[in-house]
Amino acid sequence: MQRSMLQGVIVNLVTWTLVLLIAFPLLWMIITSVKPQTELFRIPPTWFPETITFEHYWRLLTETPFLTYFRNSVVLATTTTIFVVALGTLGAYSLVRFKYRGRETLAMLVLFTYLLPSVVLIIPLYLMMVAIGLSNTLVSLILAHTTFALPYALWLLRSFMEGVPEDLESAALVDGASRMGAFRDIILPQLLPGIISTALFTFILSWNEYLYALVLVNSDSVAPLTTGVMSMLISAFNIEWSLLMAASVMMSLPLIVVFAFLQSYLTSGFGAGGVKG
Amino acid sequence: MIATQTITPRLERSYARLGVLLIAPTILVFSLVIVYPLLAAIYLSVFSIYTPTLEGNFVGAANYVKLLTGKAFWNSLGVTLIWTVGTLTLQIVFGVGMALLLHQNIWFRSLARSLVLFPYFLSTVVAVLVWRWLFNDLYGAMNHGLMQLGILDLPLDWLGSMPNAMIGVILVGAWKYFPFVVIAVLARLQTIPEHLYEAAKIDGAGPIARFWDVTLPQLRNVLVVIVLLRAIWDFKEFDLIYLLTGGGPVTSTQTLSLLVYQEAFGLNQMGQAAAYSVGMMLVMLVFMVVYIRKTGKEG
Repeated sequence: MQRSMLQGVIVNLVTWTLVLLIAFPLLWMIITSVKPQTELFRIPPTWFPETITFEHYWRLLTETPFLTYFRNSVVLATTTTIFVVALGTLGAYSLVRFKYRGRETLAMLVLFTYLLPSVVLIIPLYLMMVAIGLSNTLVSLILAHTTFALPYALWLLRSFMEGVPEDLESAALVDGASRMGAFRDIILPQLLPGIISTALFTFILSWNEYLYALVLVNSDSVAPLTTGVMSMLISAFNIEWSLLMAASVMMSLPLIVVFAFLQSYLTSGFGAGGVKG
Repeated sequence: MIATQTITPRLERSYARLGVLLIAPTILVFSLVIVYPLLAAIYLSVFSIYTPTLEGNFVGAANYVKLLTGKAFWNSLGVTLIWTVGTLTLQIVFGVGMALLLHQNIWFRSLARSLVLFPYFLSTVVAVLVWRWLFNDLYGAMNHGLMQLGILDLPLDWLGSMPNAMIGVILVGAWKYFPFVVIAVLARLQTIPEHLYEAAKIDGAGPIARFWDVTLPQLRNVLVVIVLLRAIWDFKEFDLIYLLTGGGPVTSTQTLSLLVYQEAFGLNQMGQAAAYSVGMMLVMLVFMVVYIRKTGKEG
């Protein structure tokens, strides 16, 4: 008994040491963001801030285009999510519950595009956006984000749809409901947790995307957070790390909210998304 | 699918029509933003196109000849393989190890899990900014931490010289993506029947023997899928490497994704870049086919 108690304590200590080591970069980000400029360039660094200040956050919001970037990212990620989840839900319903020729091939194609590298598509997409006059707009980014978000959402929703029991739908059909009626009244409520999970994943993917924004957008007024914040690093004469760390914290806010309140949806998405060996 | 025996052929036909109608918008968008660009990339790869003016002329197989005979593609392929194997190995080892620890009954387990998962969902831009600050040669916490612990004598130049730059990139990649392995393995661990462990205990197997004889065989299938999926995703990684080192010093961390980007938007040779991207896709196709066949069978 004594020995297994000791073992438990050791496992705890080892685990928590590792966990804190993994979380350290994030703690360091927060610590740096509240250090005054003078304390930042101390050698060796102070591991705990001696004075806490929010001046960097204030400067970020008032003196930089951060809020414009933030708004662009919200519009971009929200529109992409709604568009992709709406298409994906109908598509997944069709792929799982209907019989027609080419259905299996289509499902394989979805999986294939889910693995495709973005750099292959970026050149033709860039040419396409220039040709139809959409380059340097949020619309071009929404369309570009569809290339990775739609296969992802479709694949995830397909797995969730497979988990909805078929006999409920059959019963509704026997009772005289139409297919779309059964879809609305029976399938959608059952699928809701899967839809939320997919929407969260899509939102995060779109929120974090960098390459398409780098190539397709080059003005501050339409830049999302990823390229916007990076441009603050590159354009600065001497890099203001505390300002950048404040931007990093602010940029992670939606994620922190999701983690605090909706984390179970994120982990359930993993079971569905391709890793079910 | 739905009560096939009872429905009439006419109803079946109308269901099939509805099914096609429901998938039609998806197919339309797919064709527009994925299939067309994919075919266009192959088409562009036999042209020579100057990016700023987008003017070009047909050059036949010249871009592919340069791909096969030049150094750039093979150099980048080598870099990509080193990066993929290095970061994937760390991800798997740390991921499985961490999952085994988090599966134990530890204090504040859900908080520990959240902290471990967080890097995976974090924006690559944020991860890179934080790590570049940690790696800073003058004020970085990495150098000072390691010096205070007595592991380093002098500050290291983490991202500006080799092999440190490759090690740095591999480390950050492992930190960012190992939670994926943790989540997938944890989910599988929870489904291993307890009686297998009890039987092994009765047979006198210690914790290490139980890991090799019970846990690992049970994890085998999920690990194969994780390795394939992560190998594909690491192979095509762009953001993390581009933002950490930009492919430098010189081209020592320039993976294939970075090579394509650099050729198209740095050197302004769009046709050549398209050829590189097609070459890259052909290399990946091997893994993709294996993964698709593996998942397709189960799905």
